[in-house]
Amino acid sequence: MSNSSNGQDHNGGKLSPQEIAHFEHRVSELNKKLGKVRAGKIAKAESQGGSAVGGRGMSYGFKIGSEFVGAILVGAAIGYGLDYLLGTKPWLALAFFLLGFAAGVLNVMRGYQQLQGDIERQTGANIGKDLPDDDD
Amino acid sequence: MPDPIHQFEIKRLVPLELFGLDATFTNSALFMVLAVVLIAGFLIFSMQGRSLVPTRLQSLSEMLYEFVANMVRDTMGHGHDEHGHGHGYMKFFPLVFTIFIFILTLNMLGMIPGFFTSTSHLAVTASLALLVFVTVLIVGFAKNGVGFLKLFVPSGVPIYVLPLVVAIEIISFLSRPVSHSVRLFANMLAGHITLKVFAGFIIMLLGAGGAYGVLSILPLTMATALTALEFLVAFLQAYVFAMLTCMYLNDALHPGH
Repeated sequence: MSNSSNGQDHNGGKLSPQEIAHFEHRVSELNKKLGKVRAGKIAKAESQGGSAVGGRGMSYGFKIGSEFVGAILVGAAIGYGLDYLLGTKPWLALAFFLLGFAAGVLNVMRGYQQLQGDIERQTGANIGKDLPDDDD
Repeated sequence: MPDPIHQFEIKRLVPLELFGLDATFTNSALFMVLAVVLIAGFLIFSMQGRSLVPTRLQSLSEMLYEFVANMVRDTMGHGHDEHGHGHGYMKFFPLVFTIFIFILTLNMLGMIPGFFTSTSHLAVTASLALLVFVTVLIVGFAKNGVGFLKLFVPSGVPIYVLPLVVAIEIISFLSRPVSHSVRLFANMLAGHITLKVFAGFIIMLLGAGGAYGVLSILPLTMATALTALEFLVAFLQAYVFAMLTCMYLNDALHPGH
Protein backbone atom coordinates (compact mmCIF):
# COMPACT_ATOMS: atom_id res chain seq x y z
CA MET A 1 0.00 0.00 0.00
CA SER A 2 2.80 2.35 0.87
CA ASN A 3 5.30 2.18 -1.99
CA SER A 4 3.58 0.37 -4.81
CA SER A 5 0.55 2.70 -4.76
CA ASN A 6 2.78 5.76 -4.83
CA GLY A 7 3.24 5.19 -8.53
CA GLN A 8 -0.46 5.80 -9.12
CA ASP A 9 -1.17 8.92 -7.08
CA HIS A 10 1.80 10.87 -8.37
CA ASN A 11 0.24 14.16 -7.31
CA GLY A 12 1.17 13.43 -3.74
CA GLY A 13 -2.03 11.55 -2.86
CA LYS A 14 -4.29 13.95 -4.76
CA LEU A 15 -6.56 12.88 -7.58
CA SER A 16 -6.56 14.62 -10.92
CA PRO A 17 -9.64 16.73 -11.78
CA GLN A 18 -10.86 14.08 -14.26
CA GLU A 19 -10.57 11.39 -11.65
CA ILE A 20 -12.51 13.49 -9.15
CA ALA A 21 -15.21 14.19 -11.73
CA HIS A 22 -15.40 10.50 -12.59
CA PHE A 23 -15.62 9.55 -8.94
CA GLU A 24 -18.33 12.09 -8.21
CA HIS A 25 -20.26 10.90 -11.25
CA ARG A 26 -20.15 7.33 -9.94
CA VAL A 27 -21.27 8.42 -6.50
CA SER A 28 -24.23 10.34 -7.87
CA GLU A 29 -25.19 7.37 -10.09
CA LEU A 30 -25.09 5.05 -7.07
CA ASN A 31 -27.13 7.53 -5.06
CA LYS A 32 -29.81 7.53 -7.74
CA LYS A 33 -29.94 3.73 -7.81
CA LEU A 34 -30.02 3.54 -4.02
CA GLY A 35 -32.78 6.15 -3.90
CA LYS A 36 -34.91 4.09 -6.27
CA VAL A 37 -34.46 0.92 -4.22
CA ARG A 38 -35.21 2.78 -0.99
CA ALA A 39 -38.34 4.42 -2.41
CA GLY A 40 -39.56 1.03 -3.60
CA LYS A 41 -38.98 -0.51 -0.18
CA ILE A 42 -40.77 2.30 1.64
CA ALA A 43 -43.73 2.13 -0.74
CA LYS A 44 -43.93 -1.63 -0.26
CA ALA A 45 -43.78 -1.37 3.53
CA GLU A 46 -46.45 1.33 3.49
CA SER A 47 -48.81 -0.67 1.29
CA GLN A 48 -48.32 -3.76 3.45
CA GLY A 49 -48.91 -1.80 6.62
CA GLY A 50 -51.97 -0.21 5.04
CA SER A 51 -53.53 -3.53 4.06
CA ALA A 52 -52.81 -5.00 7.49
CA VAL A 53 -54.54 -2.08 9.16
CA GLY A 54 -57.42 -2.37 6.65
CA GLY A 55 -57.94 -6.06 7.43
CA ARG A 56 -57.79 -5.34 11.13
CA GLY A 57 -60.25 -2.50 10.59
CA MET A 58 -62.78 -4.91 9.16
CA SER A 59 -62.36 -7.30 12.05
CA TYR A 60 -62.66 -4.42 14.51
CA GLY A 61 -65.88 -3.37 12.80
CA PHE A 62 -67.38 -6.84 13.23
CA LYS A 63 -66.14 -6.99 16.80
CA ILE A 64 -67.64 -3.69 17.88
CA GLY A 65 -70.91 -4.24 16.00
CA SER A 66 -71.52 -7.67 17.47
CA GLU A 67 -70.64 -6.49 20.97
CA PHE A 68 -73.28 -3.76 20.68
CA VAL A 69 -75.99 -6.19 19.54
CA GLY A 70 -74.86 -8.88 21.98
CA ALA A 71 -75.26 -6.60 24.99
CA ILE A 72 -78.82 -5.62 23.97
CA LEU A 73 -79.78 -9.27 23.49
CA VAL A 74 -78.30 -10.30 26.83
CA GLY A 75 -80.01 -7.39 28.61
CA ALA A 76 -83.38 -8.24 27.09
CA ALA A 77 -82.91 -11.93 27.89
CA ILE A 78 -82.09 -11.21 31.55
CA GLY A 79 -85.14 -8.95 31.83
CA TYR A 80 -87.37 -11.51 30.22
CA GLY A 81 -86.07 -14.24 32.52
CA LEU A 82 -86.59 -12.10 35.63
CA ASP A 83 -90.11 -11.23 34.45
CA TYR A 84 -90.82 -14.91 34.02
CA LEU A 85 -89.58 -15.69 37.52
CA LEU A 86 -91.14 -12.71 39.32
CA GLY A 87 -94.32 -12.39 37.26
CA THR A 88 -93.76 -8.71 36.49
CA LYS A 89 -94.29 -8.87 32.73
CA PRO A 90 -93.34 -6.75 30.83
CA TRP A 91 -91.64 -4.14 33.01
CA LEU A 92 -88.29 -5.76 33.83
CA ALA A 93 -87.83 -6.84 30.21
CA LEU A 94 -88.26 -3.22 29.13
CA ALA A 95 -85.93 -1.88 31.83
CA PHE A 96 -83.22 -4.44 31.13
CA PHE A 97 -83.56 -3.89 27.40
CA LEU A 98 -82.59 -0.26 28.03
CA LEU A 99 -79.79 -1.32 30.39
CA GLY A 100 -78.59 -3.67 27.67
CA PHE A 101 -78.55 -0.76 25.25
CA ALA A 102 -76.41 1.22 27.71
CA ALA A 103 -74.08 -1.77 28.10
CA GLY A 104 -73.86 -1.98 24.31
CA VAL A 105 -72.82 1.66 24.09
CA LEU A 106 -70.26 1.00 26.84
CA ASN A 107 -68.91 -1.95 24.82
CA VAL A 108 -68.60 0.24 21.72
CA MET A 109 -66.75 2.93 23.67
CA ARG A 110 -64.35 0.37 25.17
CA GLY A 111 -63.86 -1.23 21.77
CA TYR A 112 -63.00 2.12 20.24
CA GLN A 113 -60.50 2.91 23.00
CA GLN A 114 -58.89 -0.45 22.36
CA LEU A 115 -58.74 0.31 18.62
CA GLN A 116 -57.13 3.69 19.27
CA GLY A 117 -54.49 2.13 21.50
CA ASP A 118 -53.70 -0.68 19.05
CA ILE A 119 -53.36 1.58 16.02
CA GLU A 120 -51.24 4.03 17.95
CA ARG A 121 -48.92 1.25 19.09
CA GLN A 122 -48.64 -0.34 15.65
CA THR A 123 -48.35 2.66 13.37
CA GLY A 124 -47.79 5.61 15.68
CA ALA A 125 -50.79 7.27 14.05
CA ASN A 126 -53.28 9.22 16.12
CA ILE A 127 -56.79 8.46 14.89
CA GLY A 128 -58.55 10.92 17.10
CA LYS A 129 -57.70 11.22 20.75
CA ASP A 130 -60.25 12.49 23.24
CA LEU A 131 -60.33 16.27 23.35
CA PRO A 132 -60.72 17.94 26.72
CA ASP A 133 -64.42 18.31 27.44
CA ASP A 134 -65.94 21.75 28.06
CA ASP A 135 -67.44 20.44 31.27
CA ASP A 136 -64.20 19.05 32.64
CA MET B 1 -81.68 -23.68 -7.34
CA PRO B 2 -79.36 -25.56 -4.99
CA ASP B 3 -80.30 -25.08 -1.37
CA PRO B 4 -77.68 -22.78 0.24
CA ILE B 5 -78.48 -24.09 3.73
CA HIS B 6 -78.00 -27.72 2.76
CA GLN B 7 -74.22 -27.51 3.34
CA PHE B 8 -74.74 -26.90 7.07
CA GLU B 9 -76.83 -30.00 7.61
CA ILE B 10 -75.63 -32.20 10.44
CA LYS B 11 -75.41 -35.83 9.41
CA ARG B 12 -75.35 -38.61 11.99
CA LEU B 13 -72.47 -40.90 11.17
CA VAL B 14 -72.11 -43.19 14.20
CA PRO B 15 -75.06 -43.22 16.63
CA LEU B 16 -73.72 -43.20 20.16
CA GLU B 17 -75.24 -42.73 23.59
CA LEU B 18 -73.16 -41.93 26.65
CA PHE B 19 -74.72 -41.73 30.13
CA GLY B 20 -78.16 -41.19 28.60
CA LEU B 21 -76.92 -38.28 26.49
CA ASP B 22 -77.01 -38.23 22.72
CA ALA B 23 -73.32 -38.22 21.79
CA THR B 24 -73.72 -39.22 18.17
CA PHE B 25 -70.60 -38.88 16.08
CA THR B 26 -71.63 -36.40 13.38
CA ASN B 27 -69.96 -34.93 10.32
CA SER B 28 -69.25 -31.83 12.43
CA ALA B 29 -67.40 -33.96 14.97
CA LEU B 30 -65.59 -35.75 12.16
CA PHE B 31 -64.16 -32.50 10.86
CA MET B 32 -63.15 -31.38 14.33
CA VAL B 33 -61.30 -34.67 14.80
CA LEU B 34 -59.76 -34.21 11.37
CA ALA B 35 -58.62 -30.71 12.37
CA VAL B 36 -57.04 -31.99 15.59
CA VAL B 37 -55.28 -34.81 13.73
CA LEU B 38 -54.02 -32.39 11.07
CA ILE B 39 -52.74 -29.87 13.64
CA ALA B 40 -51.09 -32.46 15.86
CA GLY B 41 -49.65 -34.30 12.87
CA PHE B 42 -48.26 -31.12 11.32
CA LEU B 43 -46.72 -29.79 14.53
CA ILE B 44 -45.18 -33.12 15.54
CA PHE B 45 -43.90 -33.86 12.04
CA SER B 46 -42.52 -30.37 11.41
CA MET B 47 -40.67 -30.24 14.72
CA GLN B 48 -39.14 -33.69 14.25
CA GLY B 49 -35.69 -32.46 13.21
CA ARG B 50 -35.58 -29.63 15.75
CA SER B 51 -32.54 -28.20 14.00
CA LEU B 52 -30.98 -24.84 14.77
CA VAL B 53 -31.33 -23.87 11.13
CA PRO B 54 -34.99 -24.75 10.60
CA THR B 55 -36.38 -26.58 7.60
CA ARG B 56 -39.29 -25.00 5.76
CA LEU B 57 -41.94 -26.84 7.75
CA GLN B 58 -40.16 -26.20 11.03
CA SER B 59 -39.95 -22.47 10.37
CA LEU B 60 -43.66 -22.52 9.50
CA SER B 61 -44.55 -23.91 12.92
CA GLU B 62 -42.07 -21.54 14.53
CA MET B 63 -43.77 -18.63 12.75
CA LEU B 64 -47.14 -19.84 14.03
CA TYR B 65 -45.73 -19.98 17.54
CA GLU B 66 -44.18 -16.52 17.26
CA PHE B 67 -47.39 -15.06 15.83
CA VAL B 68 -49.52 -16.27 18.74
CA ALA B 69 -46.81 -15.53 21.30
CA ASN B 70 -46.63 -11.94 20.06
CA MET B 71 -50.41 -11.66 20.24
CA VAL B 72 -50.40 -12.86 23.84
CA ARG B 73 -47.53 -10.50 24.71
CA ASP B 74 -49.16 -7.51 23.01
CA THR B 75 -52.53 -7.94 24.69
CA MET B 76 -51.56 -9.26 28.10
CA GLY B 77 -48.03 -8.12 28.71
CA HIS B 78 -48.20 -4.34 29.08
CA GLY B 79 -45.36 -3.15 31.22
CA HIS B 80 -43.93 -6.60 31.88
CA ASP B 81 -40.71 -8.13 30.66
CA GLU B 82 -40.57 -10.10 27.45
CA HIS B 83 -41.01 -13.61 28.74
CA GLY B 84 -43.52 -12.76 31.40
CA HIS B 85 -41.28 -13.87 34.27
CA GLY B 86 -42.77 -13.28 37.66
CA HIS B 87 -46.11 -12.50 36.10
CA GLY B 88 -47.16 -15.71 34.42
CA TYR B 89 -49.39 -14.51 31.64
CA MET B 90 -47.52 -16.86 29.30
CA LYS B 91 -49.22 -19.67 31.23
CA PHE B 92 -52.22 -18.96 29.01
CA PHE B 93 -50.24 -19.30 25.80
CA PRO B 94 -51.18 -22.98 25.28
CA LEU B 95 -54.89 -22.17 25.62
CA VAL B 96 -54.73 -19.23 23.21
CA PHE B 97 -52.57 -21.15 20.73
CA THR B 98 -54.90 -24.15 20.80
CA ILE B 99 -57.99 -22.01 20.31
CA PHE B 100 -56.38 -20.02 17.50
CA ILE B 101 -55.04 -22.93 15.50
CA PHE B 102 -58.16 -25.06 16.07
CA ILE B 103 -60.50 -22.35 14.76
CA LEU B 104 -58.12 -21.43 11.93
CA THR B 105 -57.91 -25.04 10.77
CA LEU B 106 -61.68 -25.54 11.00
CA ASN B 107 -62.30 -22.32 9.03
CA MET B 108 -59.74 -23.25 6.38
CA LEU B 109 -61.06 -26.82 6.10
CA GLY B 110 -64.48 -25.30 5.50
CA MET B 111 -63.09 -23.41 2.50
CA ILE B 112 -62.39 -26.70 0.68
CA PRO B 113 -65.39 -27.43 -1.58
CA GLY B 114 -67.59 -30.23 -0.24
CA PHE B 115 -66.11 -30.03 3.24
CA PHE B 116 -68.14 -29.24 6.32
CA THR B 117 -67.52 -26.04 8.32
CA SER B 118 -67.84 -26.89 12.01
CA THR B 119 -67.42 -23.23 13.01
CA SER B 120 -70.60 -22.35 11.08
CA HIS B 121 -72.59 -23.94 13.92
CA LEU B 122 -73.40 -21.88 16.99
CA ALA B 123 -73.10 -24.96 19.18
CA VAL B 124 -69.40 -25.26 18.37
CA THR B 125 -68.50 -21.58 18.67
CA ALA B 126 -70.62 -21.14 21.80
CA SER B 127 -68.82 -24.08 23.45
CA LEU B 128 -65.47 -22.45 22.68
CA ALA B 129 -66.68 -19.05 23.93
CA LEU B 130 -68.08 -20.59 27.12
CA LEU B 131 -64.79 -22.40 27.65
CA VAL B 132 -63.05 -19.02 27.59
CA PHE B 133 -65.77 -17.41 29.74
CA VAL B 134 -65.55 -20.08 32.45
CA THR B 135 -61.73 -19.96 32.35
CA VAL B 136 -61.86 -16.20 32.87
CA LEU B 137 -64.22 -16.63 35.84
CA ILE B 138 -62.09 -19.35 37.44
CA VAL B 139 -58.78 -17.55 36.88
CA GLY B 140 -60.28 -14.24 37.98
CA PHE B 141 -61.58 -15.55 41.29
CA ALA B 142 -58.54 -17.77 41.89
CA LYS B 143 -56.07 -14.91 41.34
CA ASN B 144 -57.96 -12.02 42.89
CA GLY B 145 -60.57 -13.63 45.13
CA VAL B 146 -63.44 -11.25 45.81
CA GLY B 147 -61.29 -8.50 44.28
CA PHE B 148 -62.32 -9.84 40.88
CA LEU B 149 -65.71 -8.18 41.46
CA LYS B 150 -63.91 -4.83 41.13
CA LEU B 151 -64.33 -5.48 37.42
CA PHE B 152 -67.97 -4.48 37.84
CA VAL B 153 -67.34 -1.45 40.04
CA PRO B 154 -65.50 1.28 38.12
CA SER B 155 -63.65 3.72 40.34
CA GLY B 156 -64.77 7.31 40.68
CA VAL B 157 -68.49 6.74 40.22
CA PRO B 158 -70.88 8.63 42.54
CA ILE B 159 -72.71 6.31 44.92
CA TYR B 160 -76.21 7.22 43.69
CA VAL B 161 -75.62 5.94 40.15
CA LEU B 162 -73.46 3.02 41.26
CA PRO B 163 -76.26 0.37 41.19
CA LEU B 164 -77.13 1.35 37.64
CA VAL B 165 -73.49 1.32 36.53
CA VAL B 166 -72.88 -2.06 38.17
CA ALA B 167 -75.95 -3.50 36.40
CA ILE B 168 -74.70 -2.16 33.08
CA GLU B 169 -71.21 -3.53 33.72
CA ILE B 170 -72.59 -6.96 34.56
CA ILE B 171 -74.70 -7.02 31.40
CA SER B 172 -71.64 -5.91 29.44
CA PHE B 173 -69.61 -8.73 31.00
CA LEU B 174 -72.32 -11.32 30.33
CA SER B 175 -72.62 -10.17 26.72
CA ARG B 176 -69.03 -11.19 26.05
CA PRO B 177 -69.55 -14.90 25.36
CA VAL B 178 -72.58 -14.00 23.23
CA SER B 179 -70.74 -11.61 20.92
CA HIS B 180 -67.62 -13.80 21.10
CA SER B 181 -69.44 -16.85 19.72
CA VAL B 182 -72.01 -15.17 17.47
CA ARG B 183 -69.34 -13.20 15.57
CA LEU B 184 -67.40 -16.28 14.48
CA PHE B 185 -70.54 -18.31 13.76
CA ALA B 186 -72.33 -15.53 11.83
CA ASN B 187 -69.26 -14.67 9.74
CA MET B 188 -68.71 -18.25 8.67
CA LEU B 189 -72.41 -18.94 8.09
CA ALA B 190 -73.06 -15.75 6.10
CA GLY B 191 -69.89 -16.14 4.05
CA HIS B 192 -70.65 -19.71 3.03
CA ILE B 193 -74.29 -18.91 2.21
CA THR B 194 -73.25 -15.94 0.04
CA LEU B 195 -70.72 -18.09 -1.81
CA LYS B 196 -73.30 -20.80 -2.40
CA VAL B 197 -75.93 -18.33 -3.60
CA PHE B 198 -73.60 -16.71 -6.13
CA ALA B 199 -72.38 -20.10 -7.31
CA GLY B 200 -76.03 -21.09 -7.69
CA PHE B 201 -76.63 -18.06 -9.91
CA ILE B 202 -73.93 -19.29 -12.29
CA ILE B 203 -75.66 -22.66 -12.68
CA MET B 204 -79.08 -21.04 -13.08
CA LEU B 205 -77.88 -18.62 -15.77
CA LEU B 206 -76.05 -21.34 -17.64
CA GLY B 207 -79.12 -23.57 -17.38
CA ALA B 208 -81.34 -20.83 -18.82
CA GLY B 209 -79.22 -21.03 -21.97
CA GLY B 210 -78.66 -18.58 -24.81
CA ALA B 211 -77.80 -15.00 -23.91
CA TYR B 212 -78.22 -15.74 -20.18
CA GLY B 213 -75.19 -18.01 -20.37
CA VAL B 214 -72.98 -15.01 -21.16
CA LEU B 215 -74.30 -13.18 -18.11
CA SER B 216 -73.10 -16.01 -15.86
CA ILE B 217 -69.66 -14.40 -15.98
CA LEU B 218 -70.93 -11.76 -13.52
CA PRO B 219 -71.73 -14.10 -10.61
CA LEU B 220 -68.56 -16.04 -11.47
CA THR B 221 -66.49 -12.89 -10.92
CA MET B 222 -68.34 -12.24 -7.69
CA ALA B 223 -67.89 -15.81 -6.45
CA THR B 224 -64.15 -15.64 -7.19
CA ALA B 225 -63.76 -12.35 -5.33
CA LEU B 226 -65.85 -13.67 -2.43
CA THR B 227 -63.68 -16.77 -2.17
CA ALA B 228 -60.64 -14.57 -1.64
CA LEU B 229 -62.57 -12.50 0.91
CA GLU B 230 -63.69 -15.66 2.70
CA PHE B 231 -60.09 -16.80 3.11
CA LEU B 232 -59.32 -13.42 4.70
CA VAL B 233 -62.38 -13.70 6.94
CA ALA B 234 -61.46 -17.27 7.91
CA PHE B 235 -58.08 -16.07 9.12
CA LEU B 236 -59.30 -12.81 10.68
CA GLN B 237 -62.07 -14.45 12.67
CA ALA B 238 -59.65 -16.99 14.14
CA TYR B 239 -57.30 -14.11 14.97
CA VAL B 240 -60.04 -12.00 16.53
CA PHE B 241 -61.35 -14.93 18.58
CA ALA B 242 -57.87 -15.62 19.96
CA MET B 243 -57.13 -11.92 20.55
CA LEU B 244 -60.36 -11.45 22.51
CA THR B 245 -59.50 -14.53 24.54
CA CYS B 246 -56.27 -12.76 25.50
CA MET B 247 -58.12 -9.56 26.36
CA TYR B 248 -60.68 -11.33 28.54
CA LEU B 249 -57.94 -13.29 30.31
CA ASN B 250 -56.10 -10.01 30.85
CA ASP B 251 -59.22 -8.67 32.57
CA ALA B 252 -59.21 -11.74 34.78
CA LEU B 253 -55.59 -11.06 35.79
CA HIS B 254 -56.03 -7.31 36.28
CA PRO B 255 -59.66 -6.61 37.15
CA GLY B 256 -58.91 -3.06 38.28
CA HIS B 257 -58.38 -1.80 34.69
